[in-house]
Amino acid sequence: MPISFEGTIKEHTRVRIGSGFFDVSHMGRFKISINNLSALSSLICGDIKKKNANTALYSMILNNEGGVIDDIIIWKLKTHLILVCNASNTRRLQKLFDLHKLEYILLNKTTSLIAVQGPDVLDKLNHCLDIPDNFMCSYKLSNMFDKKVVIARTGYTGEDGIEILINHDDDIKLIDLLEKQKIFPCGLGARDTLRLEAGLPLYGQELNEFVTPIEVGFKWLVDFDHDFNGKDTLLKQLKTGNHKFLKKFVINDKIVARRGDIGMSNNIKGIVTSGNYSPILKKSIGFIIFDSKPESDLIKFNIRGKLIDGNLVKGKFVG
Amino acid sequence: MSELRYLKTHEWFKEKNGLVTVGISMYAQGELGDIVFVILPDVDKEFTEGTPVAELEATKTVSEVYAPFDCKITEVNPSLDAHPELINSDPLGEGWLLKATIKNYYEKGMTEVEYLKSIDS
Repeated sequence: MPISFEGTIKEHTRVRIGSGFFDVSHMGRFKISINNLSALSSLICGDIKKKNANTALYSMILNNEGGVIDDIIIWKLKTHLILVCNASNTRRLQKLFDLHKLEYILLNKTTSLIAVQGPDVLDKLNHCLDIPDNFMCSYKLSNMFDKKVVIARTGYTGEDGIEILINHDDDIKLIDLLEKQKIFPCGLGARDTLRLEAGLPLYGQELNEFVTPIEVGFKWLVDFDHDFNGKDTLLKQLKTGNHKFLKKFVINDKIVARRGDIGMSNNIKGIVTSGNYSPILKKSIGFIIFDSKPESDLIKFNIRGKLIDGNLVKGKFVG
Repeated sequence: MSELRYLKTHEWFKEKNGLVTVGISMYAQGELGDIVFVILPDVDKEFTEGTPVAELEATKTVSEVYAPFDCKITEVNPSLDAHPELINSDPLGEGWLLKATIKNYYEKGMTEVEYLKSIDS
């Protein structure tokens, strides 16, 4: 996927107010038999065993210290699961699954994964695709492709939309359909600004092996009723409150705080993990991680030697 | 001289009667991606050749623009504050950045053909 096709802001706005699609076939995707549920469950902080068939689960694979090995989406179908991971972690997860004797089929060479996102997607595609309800997924015969396809009502933009897993040979047919519906391609630039504006973390930026789901504000992902790697660390962090804190910020000046810039909350030091321009807010936004709980919502940034004020914000940036 | 000259750092300039107009190249705007904020210098401020004179914040990265000569700013493009995207859509025209007077003009930089060849290699 290129950085952009027609400009990041144009593509970003298109997805926020209309529709656009991303070819995310670089992402790792595993087909895992339903017999492996327990083995998979012990590796992730959510409990996939509890989920009903045809639902989606966003979760994180943790190491023994609770650090994030990867963030993933799982589509739980009747007979199998589809697990989608970050491209850079595909090989790593293969090794991890091998180690835990978790059987899988890597689908990257035989399938394509297309994310179609935006408020207009349903209206535009309802006539030809059987679209599941929000955060649900399906594996059904599609009249359009004359074979079974996986469709999930999930995405990474903060907008409504779907992700479709289709046979590699059928992807051109799908893209032709999308373009006929005036749904045009978007690049990595818009994917990054959309996820940032939606307050979603990115592996390698906000997420890595040295932070836990608690520290990045994703306690709601954790199901403490089941056993999983790193559970003790997470419980301890919750009890003591003694851990890092990932927060969102807005800057009103015309400057972007970028990854690595420092921000101080009184005496607590933070480092920007992602920062960019929000095309909807028309402001500079980002994520910052503090060594411990920030003392104030007012942040003094040092951006390329300039001292700039910013504010921590709660909730979503947009929507 | 009214022909555009280009620098290795991807600025263009145009000199006439001791006044230079400065902008960035078509190639540079494409490399930066959508430009979202432009920080321009104050009028009457003086700069030394090769020092940062403006800052362009884009969706991909941030980039500095360097003074082509020792110069004193006489005007900055008033449209860019509200419409930084002009630098993307028309970098050699409406997306110009600033004008400045120079005392000691000398022939420097590349022609467009030479510049295009330099970024191609």
